[in-house]
Amino acid sequence: MSGRSITKLSQEKIVAIITIVLVVFFSATLHSFLTPGNILALLQNVAILGILGIAMALAIIGRGIDLSVVAIMAVSVAWVLQLNNNGVDLSQAIAMGFVLALAIGLINGVLIAYLEVPAIFATLAMGTAAYGSVRAVLLEDNLVYLKAAGDSWFKWIGSGQILGVPSPVMVFAVIALLAHLFLRFAVPGRFLFAMGDNPLAARATGVPIRPLIVLQYLLTAAIAFVAGVVMATAVDSMETRVARSNLVYDIILVVVIGGIGLNGGKGGIRNVLVGTLLIGVLLNGMTIMNIPYTLQNIIKSLILLAAIIIDALMNPRDEQTSQQGDI
Amino acid sequence: MAMRETLTRLRYRFVPDHILGEILAKSWIDNAIPVAILILTLCVLGSMIPGLVAVGSLLGMSAQFGELLLVVMAMTIVMLAGGIDLSVGSVFALANFVTLALFNMLGWPILVVIPVAILCGALVGLVNGILIGYLRLRAFLTTLVTLIIVRSIVDMFILEYAVKVARPTTLSRIWDFISFKRVLGMPVALIVCLAIAILAHLTLTRLRPGWHIMAVGGSRRSAFNAGLPVRRTIAMTYVLSGMLAALAGVFYASRLNAAGSDTGVGLEVLALTAAVVGGNSLGGGRGSVFKAVLGAIIILILSNSLLRLSLPTGGTSAVLGFVLIAAVAIDVKWVKHRDKLQTSVYVSPTFLALGKAPETAEGSASPYALNNLLKDVELIGLGEIDGPEDPILDAAGNLYCGTRHGDIIRFFAPDFTSKEVFVHTGGHPLGLAFDRDGNLLACVAGMGLYRIGPDKKITRLSDQTNRSWLSVIDDSRMRLADDLDIAPDGRIFFSEATIRFDMSDWMVDALEARGNGRIICYDPSTGSTRTIMDKLRFPNGITMARDGESFFFAETWGCCVSRYWFAGARTGQREVVIPDLPGYPDNINRASDGGYWLAMVGMRTPIFDMALQNPGFRKRMVERVAPDEWLFPNMNYGCVIKFDENGRITDCLWDSRGTNHPMITSMREHEGWLYLGGVSNNRIGRYRIPGGDPTWTAHASYRGEAR
Amino acid sequence: MIHFMKGCAIAASVAMGVLASSGPLQAAPDDGLINESSAALKGKKVAFVPIAMGFDLTEAWAAGLKLDAQRFGYELTIRDPNWSVDAGAQAISQLISEQPDVIVVHPPEIQAYTRLIQQANAAGIPVITVSLKADANGDVFVGPDWYDLAVKETESMVKFCGKDSGKSGKIAVMQGVLTNPTSQYGIQAIEATLKDHPEIQIVSNQAADWDASKAHAIASTVIKANPDLCGFIGLWDNMDVGIAAAIKEAGKQGQIYIASSGGGNQVSACDNIESGNFSSYVSYDAKGQARDLMMAVRAILQNKPTTPGEHSVGLYTPLKVITKETMTADSCWKLEDVKKFGP
Repeated sequence: MSGRSITKLSQEKIVAIITIVLVVFFSATLHSFLTPGNILALLQNVAILGILGIAMALAIIGRGIDLSVVAIMAVSVAWVLQLNNNGVDLSQAIAMGFVLALAIGLINGVLIAYLEVPAIFATLAMGTAAYGSVRAVLLEDNLVYLKAAGDSWFKWIGSGQILGVPSPVMVFAVIALLAHLFLRFAVPGRFLFAMGDNPLAARATGVPIRPLIVLQYLLTAAIAFVAGVVMATAVDSMETRVARSNLVYDIILVVVIGGIGLNGGKGGIRNVLVGTLLIGVLLNGMTIMNIPYTLQNIIKSLILLAAIIIDALMNPRDEQTSQQGDI
Repeated sequence: MAMRETLTRLRYRFVPDHILGEILAKSWIDNAIPVAILILTLCVLGSMIPGLVAVGSLLGMSAQFGELLLVVMAMTIVMLAGGIDLSVGSVFALANFVTLALFNMLGWPILVVIPVAILCGALVGLVNGILIGYLRLRAFLTTLVTLIIVRSIVDMFILEYAVKVARPTTLSRIWDFISFKRVLGMPVALIVCLAIAILAHLTLTRLRPGWHIMAVGGSRRSAFNAGLPVRRTIAMTYVLSGMLAALAGVFYASRLNAAGSDTGVGLEVLALTAAVVGGNSLGGGRGSVFKAVLGAIIILILSNSLLRLSLPTGGTSAVLGFVLIAAVAIDVKWVKHRDKLQTSVYVSPTFLALGKAPETAEGSASPYALNNLLKDVELIGLGEIDGPEDPILDAAGNLYCGTRHGDIIRFFAPDFTSKEVFVHTGGHPLGLAFDRDGNLLACVAGMGLYRIGPDKKITRLSDQTNRSWLSVIDDSRMRLADDLDIAPDGRIFFSEATIRFDMSDWMVDALEARGNGRIICYDPSTGSTRTIMDKLRFPNGITMARDGESFFFAETWGCCVSRYWFAGARTGQREVVIPDLPGYPDNINRASDGGYWLAMVGMRTPIFDMALQNPGFRKRMVERVAPDEWLFPNMNYGCVIKFDENGRITDCLWDSRGTNHPMITSMREHEGWLYLGGVSNNRIGRYRIPGGDPTWTAHASYRGEAR
Repeated sequence: MIHFMKGCAIAASVAMGVLASSGPLQAAPDDGLINESSAALKGKKVAFVPIAMGFDLTEAWAAGLKLDAQRFGYELTIRDPNWSVDAGAQAISQLISEQPDVIVVHPPEIQAYTRLIQQANAAGIPVITVSLKADANGDVFVGPDWYDLAVKETESMVKFCGKDSGKSGKIAVMQGVLTNPTSQYGIQAIEATLKDHPEIQIVSNQAADWDASKAHAIASTVIKANPDLCGFIGLWDNMDVGIAAAIKEAGKQGQIYIASSGGGNQVSACDNIESGNFSSYVSYDAKGQARDLMMAVRAILQNKPTTPGEHSVGLYTPLKVITKETMTADSCWKLEDVKKFGP
């Protein structure tokens, strides 16, 4: 049995080991790597990615996926900034933007739960539709600046510090903790695992599957909104075109690389943290080494590929038990 | 009241309710949703944009259409095998770059460049295929990673060479031909693409590799257990996908001669949208090249029109997004409810008012009066056979019958205790007859008309007849051939009970009471098969009248026996001989006294007779009640009657306790005995006919009139 | 508030003025050219294919064209490909089959539309390219000389980081889309200019695809990797705000120089110079370009070239360097004003 426990490495452990190896390697070769300033910078750089990763993790654990997080984040927060710039009170603007984000999440949930549209399509389409319709109807410009609230507490969310720790890292930590508590101790959180593991069985045992799916996408949208606020206040603006970028793929990478299976029912916030850390360490190290952006993408993807290949070799899928239509 | 009945009668006579269910049962109906979306798109956008559907406008889009269709086909082929290929957009960009770099920058000959570019696509596909097919990685993630890697590689090269690759150093007439020329008004890209589409369609529907792809997508586990090369098949779909996407990239290079970091970005989403809008299922098993073409057309027209509508920024995305949502939602609901809808719509009852049923009470003066003459029949093969619809005896006195298992069983004369499987047909053999040469002819349900020689050699005589023009169901196919007889000139007349139901559901046809059946004639001299009478209510037994020019036939749900002249002065005429029977008639066979035996498979009940006059009631029943609770005709109790040439009833035999022969589908007289069969029985009965001619056989009777 | 009221009053009176003046226009005496020239525009078809609508440059140009379309009664269609090169190509091929009288193209890349511009010319349709130079000249080009623009940016950077400045001399370049002329000619200009200044070295040269958030991510890592970074050369204001935010975040505003460029819109240019987000700014005055574009369209419509594409006219926009010192009240223009009153 002891031999088995050695070979039975989970993907999370593999990634954690890779991360540690990388940290050791970078510390040895790059003198500016292992400094407190750099480590904090590293965390700050991936904080937004990590927050979005938590949102995505909630969706994936419940056997869904949310490809619209970036769009939700972009349009809802851009609207907040624009409302505020046009003279709407800040807190009221935030409330309106939050409601907008929740509304998009609600549509996602209803489409998936009640119309039974596969999550990947519902959210893919909703991402495009929400970006397009909000941009066409509500927003005046692709790029909305943070002007009116530039000096308020709002600005602090993305660019402040507590005891030297950048506030995005704090926000990431708080969201991670809340999500962890939700998944661990809240009833809907436990149900989320049950649903992700086997939706039919969960339904048969009385788990309210449909409301749970709606809740899942509402949560995802809410967290995406928070990530958007952090992003906008860090950059002083919100570029809605980010909705059309590859960012959502990066988010999925973070979640999956940490070991949350796309099948659902497995994993937790710790996996997101591990995945985020690996990406953070990699990006930071490569940036210090001045590797160009595109080459960084390739290296990042190759490492992810290595992680999933190792996972496939260690935990091979069986022809007899794998599910049909599982992509 | 009479008025109302007439109206009901007319309504069910002229409104073809059954067509809806038949349309839903067609396999092409699966394309109905995308076609409807396409028509809707054209109508809505065509009315908003003048000249959208004009030829010039369509030709303007044709080059893009070729490229898009290639990519959509790439995506579709992978989806059919149960995967997804997100890397198509990047492969497209890679092939575009490779083509331009090799041709413009390095000056390679174009005939080398194009295969190399396609090879690059195939290589990326091969990587995907090995990882997903052989190492069993997840398709979504793996192709997502290759999407990013290939895209980054292309970006790196573009950073270095973007401007250089776009400035041609050599000229090539072939390349110019591909880039600028039109053949028959169509750009080369479109022609190549359509040719590939046809090829792909043929491969998927007609050739082994295509079938393997469909099988793996339909059920990977079953395909694996059936011994198909699942892994190789999956890997192959990705290689094909890479090659198709690369070819699209080559055409893009020829059209724009530019390599930008934007090339092919988001193409995977567009292709996925097109494939799904066209009706291809994510997860595999359902889809076709035609669906891919439909989807590509819809998406191209939509995106092109939105561009022309000059919507505010974001409007295009919004519309595309909502269209994808709507298309997928409709598709999901369609797939989920199609079968349900079809079963609830398929059975479509009609109006039928039967005449008053004759009295059958014991001791009454009725010719049908109940008795217990069959109580002491001898039983043959009890418990050894299942469903002997129609027993028959050969010249040597051996007894034959069909069974539900698809065999024809032979019991050996004289005591019928030993038996053998004479032949195995595969369907349920129902009506049997011997021809003059001693061949056994059989109507096999689900298959058609077959001849079995004394040497047990089976020959198919007919399994299709002429297709009627207005039938939605393909009625050339024989679904339920029931009983047959042979005319003196050798023509074989046989009945097909219904064209709408299979053998297992034959009784559901009673709920419709429509004329779904027909009588077909097979002419051995020409080998032709023609339908001679249709719209009959479950035509069943058939037997030749002794004039050699006509036959009697029974309509089970019509509760009547008719006579039809196929030769002589009255050719083509039909006459009802016995209009209102007390039960449901089945097979008819000759009797030794010049009359005809007729089996009653069940007896009429007032409640079902009433239900037949209330089609709405039966419709609601079918829609709302589970099938095993449906009201069916009584099939638990029957009898044998005998009628003469004029339709007068001369004899009637009952098993009043229902212990031996509650349901009788056929009977044969042979040397003074009457052999009884039942399609749901597990025995054959033998009844000594009082005063029956002990020398009479059917063979002799038929031989006697041979000319 | 009073300002706002005043603005409204002025807007109203100007609007009335425009309305009033448009009335008697037709009754005005013929000076021998005016009637003929405006009649030549009437009923013509002008098509505009921008990279995307919804940002200051294209909105300003479109506003100019719309004004003329209304005034002279030509038909203006705008096909918005929303940043997709392929959608733009589709739009142009479509337009070629629709045969408008002139196509105005805003090419996203040097090469992407080259063949299409040639095809349009071959089909007898004159083409005006605006702002970004494509490999095919078309009939008129309206836009900046990107080489000169980058030289101006680099020179201001050299002034701040060069010899005797006491700085490290490390600078970073943030490009937009790599195949865009801004990059293709801009990088050549930067490299050529820096040849004379060996003390300055480029430590990072990356592309952010005109996306502020991407620029922010790249800039913040560059700043961390090079704590003694002296300056950034950015190539478009809408993207460069991401760099500015990253500098602010690192607490290095004023220490890291940032040279930007763009259309000179008040919000993206002068406001950012004012707030110190940008250190210097090269403006190609999109408002002026809008006017140039209007005139180019008028000229082409009045005097259609016999073989389109044969002779090309280059209308290169004068460039203006804006810094805190040189900035005046009318250095920049406001988009809402241009939309309301025209360029």
